[in-house]
Amino acid sequence: MKTSIFDIDNWTEIGATLARNKTRTFLTAFGIFWGVAMLAMLWGGAIGLKDMLMRNFDGFATNTAVLFPGRTTMSYKGFNKGTQYDLVQADADGIRNTIPEVVAQTSVYNIGVTASYGKNSTSTTIMGVDADYPEIMLPVIYSGRFINASDSQQERKVCVIGKKVADEIFGYESPIGKYVKVSGIYFYVVGVAGQTSEVQISAKIDESILIPSTTMRRSFNLGDDIGGLMMKVKDGVSPTSLKPRIARILRRNHPIHPDDDNAIGFWDISQQFKMVDSLFLGIMVLALFVGVGSLLAGIIGIGNIMWVIVKERTQEIGIRRAIGAKPLDIITQILSEGVVLTFVAGIAGICFATIVLFIAQKLTTNEVSTPHFQLYFSQAVTIMVTFMILGTAAGLIPALKTMKIKPIEAMNDK
Amino acid sequence: MIKLIDINKTYPGVVPLHVLKGINLHVEKGELVSIMGASGSGKSTLLNILGILDNYDTGDYYLDGLLIKNLSENKAAELRNKMIGFVFQSFNLINYKDALENVALPLFYQGISRRQRNKMAMEQLDRMGLADRAHHLPSELSGGQKQRVAIARALITNPSIILADEPTGALDSKTSHDVMNIFKDLNADTGKTIVIVTHDPGVGAQTNRIIRISDGIIEE
Repeated sequence: MKTSIFDIDNWTEIGATLARNKTRTFLTAFGIFWGVAMLAMLWGGAIGLKDMLMRNFDGFATNTAVLFPGRTTMSYKGFNKGTQYDLVQADADGIRNTIPEVVAQTSVYNIGVTASYGKNSTSTTIMGVDADYPEIMLPVIYSGRFINASDSQQERKVCVIGKKVADEIFGYESPIGKYVKVSGIYFYVVGVAGQTSEVQISAKIDESILIPSTTMRRSFNLGDDIGGLMMKVKDGVSPTSLKPRIARILRRNHPIHPDDDNAIGFWDISQQFKMVDSLFLGIMVLALFVGVGSLLAGIIGIGNIMWVIVKERTQEIGIRRAIGAKPLDIITQILSEGVVLTFVAGIAGICFATIVLFIAQKLTTNEVSTPHFQLYFSQAVTIMVTFMILGTAAGLIPALKTMKIKPIEAMNDK
Repeated sequence: MIKLIDINKTYPGVVPLHVLKGINLHVEKGELVSIMGASGSGKSTLLNILGILDNYDTGDYYLDGLLIKNLSENKAAELRNKMIGFVFQSFNLINYKDALENVALPLFYQGISRRQRNKMAMEQLDRMGLADRAHHLPSELSGGQKQRVAIARALITNPSIILADEPTGALDSKTSHDVMNIFKDLNADTGKTIVIVTHDPGVGAQTNRIIRISDGIIEE
């Protein structure tokens, strides 16, 4: 026989055999379909899930620590324990000047206020920040600009207002160049901003009004109190490792006992991210485990059904050999059936998984970002090729085994 | 046409079974012979060796002047396809293929185009008087019809020799008679060499020569 994939007779022969054993064909095909679909959905889903998780931190510097004011727990320098202290500009300057590992820092002070423009007003949070703020939390600028260093230096009464606040009090009007009134003080709007991440520093940018911290202290009579301090640390340096040096600076400015660790409010955010990272690693490992499991189940399914096919057709194979089928003809026939079945069912599985992933992506898309619930073409090809190779190998073993039987014995097999 | 010289065959096992004990046989081209013997006499084994479906231990077997010994499975398949037509007691049709497809199958393994082989198969079925049954599955045919389909399949490659193993064993006397007539006509009209294995004396009597085999030895 001229064994050729271009010979239509080979295809009609394969098609006819598959079509004449409908139940068996369907069950095998379903097994392969499901294995491929599971693997594809897990693979594409893991990427989407990661995107969904990471979306929460989008634009937020993860190697960050927060310093906040506290209360001493030991008496020192004539102060009783329980003395409350504020963070002051000297603390921020001390850190800036002596700890080069802190690459960006901003003080954050917020007060709940009512903001108004014309007849509209809304309750919001006014937040005093420094020009370095975008290094820690990257804002989405919808229009205008963010607060800059000279705003801070000159204590300008300018503000960046959150998208949501702008929508509420300005409606369809552009807020840029207008004045928003907060607690009787007018601020000149220089920008409208928001954020993509779900991370909240005091309040989301969308829901607050940001002004320079220097302006904040002067306008709201805060004296030297800078509120809290956020610090972005150089990559590769753990924020916690800087804590003793930061504590030393604080102790110089405040009556904190050298052994009083509890007096210093220090929160290493990077630790939280490490937890998320390991959680995600766990999900990936689980997905891989389940994926490999379903792959194996699919392959064993093909092998098993191939075994049954060959067993069940021993007599037929004997007849075919008696009337002149060569070993290669028989093996080709059995394997072609497996390959065709795997190919068709596999493609169907990929299509099904793609549709499921498409729906998942539609459902999780919001106005700022889209998680990639997608299967890369290369991944789809990898899954298909793996199934084809392993499926063929699984079919080859029983096919070779029947060729060991003499045709006459095969024919008498009942 | 067929020449067997001192053929021996032993089935291995705990108690090895020596089935053929030095068979010498000569069948001329165009002969219609029957091989008769009791069950267990080795007649089916002999037929299997003649059909290159089984191998033998010692001796020489010449088919149409060609030594059949230690052939590769590919060569054996090719010879079976081109030179030998088989007819079995249990018909051995492929049950999910219709009569036409069954008859055409040997041509498929010769690489003959679908159109060509279906045309040839149809002619062969017509000759057997089964043209109207061409698209029936074996399960929809009577025993006699099935055997005629099997004969058509055996003839499709125009082999020089037909080997039949108890071709009437599963048929009633009327259809047995019809099938034997087909064999006789074939022998008379086309001069095909036909070897029929049977234990039915009535069948044996219709052949030109009866070869009796008993306990692995041919009795003359």
